[in-house]
Amino acid sequence: MILEVIILGTFKMYGEFSRKSFQRAAAYRFDAWTRIIGNVMFLFMWGFIWYGLYHGKGEVEGVSFQAMLSYILISQALQGLHGAGTPLWEIQERVRTGDIAMEMLRPYDYPTRMLFSDFGSITFYFMTAIVPLYTVLFLVLKPVVPTSFSQGGLFVVSAILGYLIRYCIELTFGLFTFWLVETGGVEDIFYFAISLFSGSVIPLWFFPGWLEQVAGYLPFQGIFFVPNSIFVGQLTGQAVWDALLSQVIWLLICYAILRFVWAKASMKIVIQGG
Amino acid sequence: MGLIEVNHLSKHYQIAKRQEGLGGALRSLFHREYMTKMAVQDISFAVNRGEVVGYIGPNGAGKSTTIKMLTGILVPTSGEIRVNGIIPFKERQKNARQIGVVFGQRTQLWWDLPTIESFELLKQVFEVPDQRYRQNMATFSDILGLGEFLYTPVRQLSLGQRMRADIAASLLHDPVILFLDEPTIGLDVVAKERMRTFIKEINRERGVTVILTTHDMSDIEKLCQRMILIDKGRVMYDGELAKIKERFGKERVLIVDLEGEATDFSIAGAAVIKQEGNRMWLRFSRDEVTASQLINQISEKYEIKDVTIKDPEIDVMIRHIYEKGMDGQADYQQE
Repeated sequence: MILEVIILGTFKMYGEFSRKSFQRAAAYRFDAWTRIIGNVMFLFMWGFIWYGLYHGKGEVEGVSFQAMLSYILISQALQGLHGAGTPLWEIQERVRTGDIAMEMLRPYDYPTRMLFSDFGSITFYFMTAIVPLYTVLFLVLKPVVPTSFSQGGLFVVSAILGYLIRYCIELTFGLFTFWLVETGGVEDIFYFAISLFSGSVIPLWFFPGWLEQVAGYLPFQGIFFVPNSIFVGQLTGQAVWDALLSQVIWLLICYAILRFVWAKASMKIVIQGG
Repeated sequence: MGLIEVNHLSKHYQIAKRQEGLGGALRSLFHREYMTKMAVQDISFAVNRGEVVGYIGPNGAGKSTTIKMLTGILVPTSGEIRVNGIIPFKERQKNARQIGVVFGQRTQLWWDLPTIESFELLKQVFEVPDQRYRQNMATFSDILGLGEFLYTPVRQLSLGQRMRADIAASLLHDPVILFLDEPTIGLDVVAKERMRTFIKEINRERGVTVILTTHDMSDIEKLCQRMILIDKGRVMYDGELAKIKERFGKERVLIVDLEGEATDFSIAGAAVIKQEGNRMWLRFSRDEVTASQLINQISEKYEIKDVTIKDPEIDVMIRHIYEKGMDGQADYQQE
């Protein structure tokens, strides 16, 4: 009973961060709309590139153009959502200005509070930009979509796992700022890894064998490639469960690393004053 | 036992030495040399419930380092701290619930949202009961005039308004102790006065113990019964402001404007420290001669047009302590 009250209270507190972030995102509607324009531009760019590559071919590697189009659409939609969270440079900025150190004066866990804040801005972006835009696009373009509720449900689970993996990695990279004077290199590594190994624009099945193998051993494929593949039906049956399991394992690993780095960063703040 | 107890507190930082030149830069990639900066050295003091204490010192004296250790976001190198029985860095979150903190140079409010939203967020964070929240908001709105900007985004507030909102935010959860790091920095005279009145009021009405750092001596004069003066990480003075005045404030300056030129001006018991045309600056000690005696003496020989007496300024007294220590002679110049 008491435990329930505590859990409920904690949830309410973190939930308040989501609400405030939602309100803040609403205050910056214009920002959301400009972002969606950029998102659509990239969508068209990749759409035309794949259209060109597929020209005159029915299937490539057993994947039809309709499935590929679907892959790009859902990938752009997910990337849009991820982009609505706190970007890497902002985390770096908060470390530099000492804002993070100040938040240690509060009775909450910083990584959790950040996650819930991101939920708020993402929800706003999801409702006002992603859903209306992509509903129209899917209706007009008629790409491949999940054919069963279970496929759709598994996609949602996988997409959420992917989001959490990226969140852990991005915050960890942001926290590296505590030890670095110049953070451009960290940013480059992060964005390179995210854009290539996550399968955000090129599905891993088009990778040369060795690169596909490398990507298979990295956590990034769990961010976009797995949910996208489930969505377009390239992963089915047992393979879906295997992929979900690997996402869960990667999430646990990334979370453990995040906690470790956060503990080290907190120690650095309290010993060296940030 | 005091509400805050600080015993032999020290904080040393390790700072990486930058080596010169390209070779140095390369070497420092593999091997770094460190030097130790002693930010706080062997500080001890105790603060009782209900006190308002001014924590003063020049830039880099160790004020912020001490405050950070008291709030728990910095671990002492050695020594002990207890804040209401809690060792801050060991139970930082528990400590956070009993203290309020305002850093004048940064804000705890959400920049892009109406001010009220930040208050609501803090209500949830500190689990302030609804009724208590409403009472506090009513009180703070009353004294600080929050009502006029509660629904304005924080980024549009003036500095004075933002500071008022920040201090109210730090008090929402009824802390026992309030730490204020330069609460009046950058404010105009009216805003400063308003801030001081509020600090005085919450100290009197709610018994909140206040520790504040400032560079503005009028803050100290108007708010603090006691001040702790630190320099280079050490306590230089801890006691009443009145005692400092007593000790260093004996000497005053009498400024007289005379009719006509004053030649060979000399008066027993006072020294001429400056002369500009017909205006004379005379330094005298309260113990030796009174101001009226001096004026009488002067008026016997000269025609006086105007008289002013200047009390020594606290800034000047304090600068004197920094330069010469508590035991140094009070031979400073008035400015």
